[in-house]
Amino acid sequence: MTATSRVRVSIIGVVVLALFGALFTRLWYLQGAGGTSLAAAATENRVRIVTEPAPRGRILDANGRVLADSRVSNAVTVDRALEGNEREEVIVRLALVLGMSIDEINERLDDPRVSPYSAVPVAVDVAPETLVYIGEHNADFPGVTVDRRSVRAYPNGTTAAHVLGYTGEISEEEIDSQRSGDYSLGDQIGKAGVEQSYERDLRGTPGEERLEIDAQGDVVRSLGTTEPEPGSDVQLTIDLDVQTVAEVALAEAMAKARGIQNDAMEANFATYRAPAGSVVVLDARTGSVVAMVSNPAYDPNQFVDGIPTAVFEEYENPASYFPLLNRTIQGQYAPGSTFKLVTSLAALTTGQINTGTVVNDKGCIDLEVEGGKFCNAGGAVYGTIALSEALTVSSDVFFYELGRSYWRVFKAGDPNGYAIQDEARALGFGSPTGIPLTGESPGRVPDEAFKIDFNADNPDPKAKAENSIWLPGDNIQLAVGQGDLLVTPLQLASAYATLGNGGTVFTPRLASQVLAADGSVEREISPIAKDTVVLPPGSREAILDGLRGVVRSSAGTAGGVFAGFDFDAVDVAGKTGTAVVDDEPDGKQDTSVFVAITPPDPAPGQAQYVIVALVEEGGFGADTAAPIVRRVIEGLYGLTPTEILIARGSVED
Amino acid sequence: MARAMPASVVLSDRRARLVATPLRHIDVVLIGATLAIAALGLVMVHSATQARTRLEGVGPLFYVGRQAAWVLLGLIVMVAVMAIDYRKLRDLAPIGYVAMLFLLGAVLIPGVGTSTKGSQARFQLGALQLQPSEFTKFFLILMLAAYCAAHREQFGLRRVVTAVVIAGLPLGLVLLQPDLGTALVLGAISFAILTVAGTKGRYLAILALLVVTVAIGAVRLGVLAQYQVDRLTVFIDQDDSGETLDREDSGYNLDQSKTAIANGGLTGTGLRQGTQTNLGFVPEQHTDFIFTAVGEELGFAGAATLLVLFGLIVWRTWRTACLTNDAFATLACMGVIGLFAFQVFENVGMTMGIMPITGIPLPFMSYGGSATILAFACVGLVANIHMRRFS
Repeated sequence: MTATSRVRVSIIGVVVLALFGALFTRLWYLQGAGGTSLAAAATENRVRIVTEPAPRGRILDANGRVLADSRVSNAVTVDRALEGNEREEVIVRLALVLGMSIDEINERLDDPRVSPYSAVPVAVDVAPETLVYIGEHNADFPGVTVDRRSVRAYPNGTTAAHVLGYTGEISEEEIDSQRSGDYSLGDQIGKAGVEQSYERDLRGTPGEERLEIDAQGDVVRSLGTTEPEPGSDVQLTIDLDVQTVAEVALAEAMAKARGIQNDAMEANFATYRAPAGSVVVLDARTGSVVAMVSNPAYDPNQFVDGIPTAVFEEYENPASYFPLLNRTIQGQYAPGSTFKLVTSLAALTTGQINTGTVVNDKGCIDLEVEGGKFCNAGGAVYGTIALSEALTVSSDVFFYELGRSYWRVFKAGDPNGYAIQDEARALGFGSPTGIPLTGESPGRVPDEAFKIDFNADNPDPKAKAENSIWLPGDNIQLAVGQGDLLVTPLQLASAYATLGNGGTVFTPRLASQVLAADGSVEREISPIAKDTVVLPPGSREAILDGLRGVVRSSAGTAGGVFAGFDFDAVDVAGKTGTAVVDDEPDGKQDTSVFVAITPPDPAPGQAQYVIVALVEEGGFGADTAAPIVRRVIEGLYGLTPTEILIARGSVED
Repeated sequence: MARAMPASVVLSDRRARLVATPLRHIDVVLIGATLAIAALGLVMVHSATQARTRLEGVGPLFYVGRQAAWVLLGLIVMVAVMAIDYRKLRDLAPIGYVAMLFLLGAVLIPGVGTSTKGSQARFQLGALQLQPSEFTKFFLILMLAAYCAAHREQFGLRRVVTAVVIAGLPLGLVLLQPDLGTALVLGAISFAILTVAGTKGRYLAILALLVVTVAIGAVRLGVLAQYQVDRLTVFIDQDDSGETLDREDSGYNLDQSKTAIANGGLTGTGLRQGTQTNLGFVPEQHTDFIFTAVGEELGFAGAATLLVLFGLIVWRTWRTACLTNDAFATLACMGVIGLFAFQVFENVGMTMGIMPITGIPLPFMSYGGSATILAFACVGLVANIHMRRFS
């Protein structure tokens, strides 16, 4: 070999050495040093997670009766791996057997919300004979299986619908807003009511199966399964019996009212429309909701497999009076004379009157301006009366006077000028009660700030200025629960509960405890006393005396409705309310309201209930609402129910 | 009368012993490294064909069984090559070379040769496929080394041109298939031999320029299919996140390949535990991408060991080239180094993203008959030279 050749052999050697050096360096870079992100990509590559929903927890009533359950339903599912002709043939056969269209089945099969590794449910609640047919002809249905899946069921139908709410498939917005973040498309989630408020307890923890898949996307093996953890049961404070009695009573009263001529509209020979109403029963000593009724109602079962469009449109149609609305917390009404409780407490607290202060009720008060004459309903004249009697007979003039005098105080710049408003807010009016339900309305306690705000956009400067002034008429209207005042039935019940229990304002409670799947108590939900209202000495007794008279005395506004009631067995105090919604003859009829406390002075350990009934366009408080409350009280204490008789325009207010 | 002594008797005892027993000089390290790689190759082919066999519905030993047969056949060929004195092989080189040219021409004729994966490169012999281009490597080494050795004293321009033509003919035919990878290997072989043969530096430079021009021309003139161009260029755009490249295109190969190797870490996932390997994420993993299976399942330790074993083969070949006094032998060894070094660097380099992707098998490791037999033949040639270096 020449010298050149020797050198060149060496060069080749060096080049080869360099090449191998490069390979080692790169290998070390990939495997020793920088390979972590790539190694993570390898795991992502091969593992797919299929979730299995946990059986949803039940919703129970106060006595453990099932209000919402998870029913087992048969579902026909189809394997996604099915392809080509086979898939087409199977779909045609399924369409025939299930009575569905081919397009419908295709649509469900291609539903992106179902994981590609789990079979797709194309039909649920399939008839048993269809299942048998598919089972016997399984050669014709490759990839088709019958699954038993857990489906929400509400055994009592529309009962307590607004409390329970319903579940549905989670929407994309909800996924984005869920802070826990472990929901995925296709998951069920509580959409309303307790189903929504107690979602975290009810849902449980979904199970997970980790599947190893190959490059073709085929499952190779399971890498492990986490069993779903069933959701917890939520026990409500609702008593199914009381709830049922209240629902039946409300429905019956509404139906009867529609057959009764409204004397106030004699000229038109009109009957009460009574299109909607609500009942709330509160345990005054804990703020627990014992019954919560809103009529019209809906059947939550209709939401289980996705609500049919037609049904939903019907629910959204104004002619149906919005059955999805929970009127006990979302309905806002002028409370009428039931609000006199607030005016009374304000006056006694500020010392405007004492329990013995008398007013000469001449039937009207006259501000001597146009539209400034305010009179008792039915032109009644009650003469010299004190607070208790004024409540019993529902003298408006007594409270008009209070409203007027507070207006004068207001005009003088004294902070007590808003005594009625302050008392109302202290009792919980004007803001949501905080009951664990979404969509609660705050109501409205009007004052000058409200009027300014309300007229802020008035284009006419003169009208704007005039309408932004808090007038004596405004305060007079407020004193008797009329005008711009708005309350929800639950707020009203809560205010009377505060009177009943001696001054505690509770955040209404719907659930008492959360129970684990094995029945053990997971969490107690205690009553929440959020505020205290000081009741001046003697005021509670004086007011309750007046309210007892409402139901007991023949002069009481609900004396007729409670005729024959066994007050020796059950003590009752009540107040009627009639809210004028529209003064026009063809406008909305009055709202009929009645609220009762029973018993007004409970023995230690005895439950004290507050019952509110409200019927839209139901006339005087005693007409439609009071009979409902009587029936609920009879239900609460196991008394013989009396027939609901709707009075024709009782004298009140 | 005194009988004349036979010529051999005048030789020294030591020399005589050397000549008489070339078997004593077998390069144990070379053969040992070769056998070790081939054995590892069988293990890895088995592992890398788990998903494939399941998918194709053949027995799990289908591929590894066939590869074992190729290894056996390769060993027989290696022994056969070792048995014939390399000088006889040298003298037969022109016949073998011309025969290969003929086969390379024949394989291009549709009907005679078979087209797979876009290149007309194989003869279908019953169930077997024969790739003449693989064997061309062996005969080109012999032919080019023989020619250059014969004319080494006056290796001027004329000789260089002739040598380039000798290399260019099979290279051109292979490019027509088109099989870029094999063409590159033939180029590497030729370059190594021509360099050591004493080609003037400027001629080598011109030659290198020519290769680049031809390569660019091949890409530009559409000799290569688009997918081949994509595969060649994709390594330029990679990044190491393993995510940036669209998995639909050629980047998929590279991503999955790098991901698999990275997944191995230092010690690997263990045999048949590699998720990338077992689940068939790396395409062509039992053939061109077999190194990814080693990288994933045996980790840095295993992959580095494999590279060391290849290094041993190259080193022993280089050492043989230095030990021998025969110019042909030196040049032939250089050809073998060109072949192994380039194939290992290109193949392993492409799986790790530092070389463009071309269809070049990893010697002794990649599943495939022709390539395995050829690799054994080359080792046989080097062993042949090593054990007869004194005769």
